[in-house]
Amino acid sequence: MITLNGIRKSYKAGNQSLEVLKGIDCEIREGELVAIMGSSGSGKSTLLNVLGLLDDADHGSYKLDGQTMDGLTERMAARYRSQFLGFVFQSFNLISFKTALENVALPLYYQKVPRKERQLKAMEYLKRVGLEDWAGHLPNQMSGGQKQRVAIARALIAQPRLILADEPTGALDSVTSNEVMSLLREINSEGITIVIVTHENEIADQCDRVIRLKDGLIDNSNSNAHV
Amino acid sequence: MFDRDSWLEIANTVLSNPLRTGLTGLSIALGIFILVVMQGLGTGLENGVQSTFGNRVSNLIEIRTGRTQLAYRGRKPNRQVQMHNADENALKEQLDSIPAWSRFLFLWGSTVQFQNEQGSYGLRGVDPDQKDLAALNLTAGRFINARDLDEKRKVTVIGSQVLRDLFPRGTTPEEAVGSFVMLRGVQFAVVGAFDQAGSRWENRSVYVPFTTAQRLFQNSDVINRVSVGTGSAAIEKTRTTSAGLLSWLQNRLAVHPEDSEGVWVENRNEDAEMFRSIFQGINLFVWFVGLMTLLAGAMGVANIMAIVVRERTKEIGVRKALGATSGSIVGQIVQESVVLMLVSGCIGLVAGVWTLQSLAPYADHEFFSNPRVDFSSAILALGILITVGVVSALGPATRAVSIRPVEALRDE
Ligand SMILES: Nc1ncnc2c1ncn2[C@@H]1O[C@H](COP(=O)(O)OP(=O)(O)OP(=O)(O)O)[C@@H](O)[C@H]1O
Ligand SMILES: [Mg+2]
Repeated sequence: MITLNGIRKSYKAGNQSLEVLKGIDCEIREGELVAIMGSSGSGKSTLLNVLGLLDDADHGSYKLDGQTMDGLTERMAARYRSQFLGFVFQSFNLISFKTALENVALPLYYQKVPRKERQLKAMEYLKRVGLEDWAGHLPNQMSGGQKQRVAIARALIAQPRLILADEPTGALDSVTSNEVMSLLREINSEGITIVIVTHENEIADQCDRVIRLKDGLIDNSNSNAHV
Repeated sequence: MFDRDSWLEIANTVLSNPLRTGLTGLSIALGIFILVVMQGLGTGLENGVQSTFGNRVSNLIEIRTGRTQLAYRGRKPNRQVQMHNADENALKEQLDSIPAWSRFLFLWGSTVQFQNEQGSYGLRGVDPDQKDLAALNLTAGRFINARDLDEKRKVTVIGSQVLRDLFPRGTTPEEAVGSFVMLRGVQFAVVGAFDQAGSRWENRSVYVPFTTAQRLFQNSDVINRVSVGTGSAAIEKTRTTSAGLLSWLQNRLAVHPEDSEGVWVENRNEDAEMFRSIFQGINLFVWFVGLMTLLAGAMGVANIMAIVVRERTKEIGVRKALGATSGSIVGQIVQESVVLMLVSGCIGLVAGVWTLQSLAPYADHEFFSNPRVDFSSAILALGILITVGVVSALGPATRAVSIRPVEALRDE
């Protein structure tokens, strides 16, 4: 599903340049549930942004589903994002003046799906995350866990092949964290590849594999087999 | 493009800070309002002045004489200069083309009598061309013709006020034609009647053939005035003609070239030209003020959109992550700006038109009537609004496009 070869990325801070990713090689197979771990500042979010086509790498090659993603135009990146990828963020990133239903429907708007169809679909996905009764609520009327479930429904609605989640449970307590995690695992069991950035071992333990980042490189890729 | 979601976005932008939006909208509405009202007042002034002075035909040169101020060629100052028939004949030879021509003999305060009614009116001896030179509006009968002049006939064409004053109530112009009136004690046949809208002096006059007037009332060959039509000649041409006539007449009538009182050659084309340039100036000023106000409003809108983009940086990043293209983001911001512009502009337009319309009945004056905005100006103003709306959105929109999703999504 994903093949990374020698991905390098550096940021300019003043006249110094800070190399965050120093040559990442890795492979993620279709249907895997992978956790990325590492200390703060080790480049986890940076890597995830590269995977999500939200940011370009300076060097190296990135293949997504067999197609090379190097040097994409803004327009092409937007198209791949909308067709291939779903995002879940730590801070949910719901649009505050849209209801849960409209938030979930938004990706389909950018795919030019007719309004009626969009809303039906959005309702269906809200039902999947158990929030059909909250369809008409605004994000600020919902709890953190509910918001994250709306965000997951939104990530799912365009039927992506890959979901990228940056600390999806970072802002949730352990009970809701587990709820969200079991939802993600359920989605994964339907064949959707998921990459989760996390600090928490409990979360990582529930994944098929953990990729550890240290000083911009992959530390040791130990597959912790999961039942 | 304008589906329900676009409207929802626009409504959200507008309502997220009603005060800010309201103030900006107000400045746009005010700009258009001022433009519309000032334009309407300008048109009203123009209409008023037109109806008071405009009926006066302007394509002619008037020649009169007066008292000299300066001594010249052995003649003392304060001499009354007179034009005579011989001068008129020589004058005609000075001109290469004469579209229209009339001599005048004025007899102010002439007694006009019909049966037992009488009053004092202006009597004017004229040539047939006076009908065209003054653009007389005949309501019945005919004007004085060449045969009247040749035969020095005692015929007259009377103004509408004379008719109203002297004839029995309800007499139509047609009925008046064919009757006889006494002019300064001499019996004349009424052959025509006229009515000049908005021109009191004209309507209190009676016209008779020039030759008849000279013979009966003057008993000399003095001419008070000559009107020379200039047809469709350009203003520059009429200027040279009128300057040429002045110096030629001064020379012939022994008036010092620097003497401004002895001979008067007045080019009426200059009046029209003056009005035209005054109203052009007013119009220019109106547009200038209106555009400046609009510009201030446009900067307000640009500012609002810039703030909106800044406040919504994160949201724009999220949208991009969800598949929004740059085009859709630019489209959204431009749409918001244009809608804001158009809605407040239309409010200003409607308010302005309404103000003018409710003002119009109270504002009917000699120099002011029928204030209104012409359709093309309104369309032009709306066109400017849309353009300004697009232009003022472009800066913020390009900023929004340049937001990279990563930057926007960064927590903190
Ligand atoms: N736009 C940027 N400009 C400059 N430096 C940046 C930028 N984005 C990230 N960095 C730096 O790159 C390094 C890696 O950042 P990154 O966000 O990938 O870390 P992380 O592993 O996700 O950390 P955390 O666990 O705290 O989220 C950090 O030192 C950060 O300061
Ligand atoms: Mg991070």
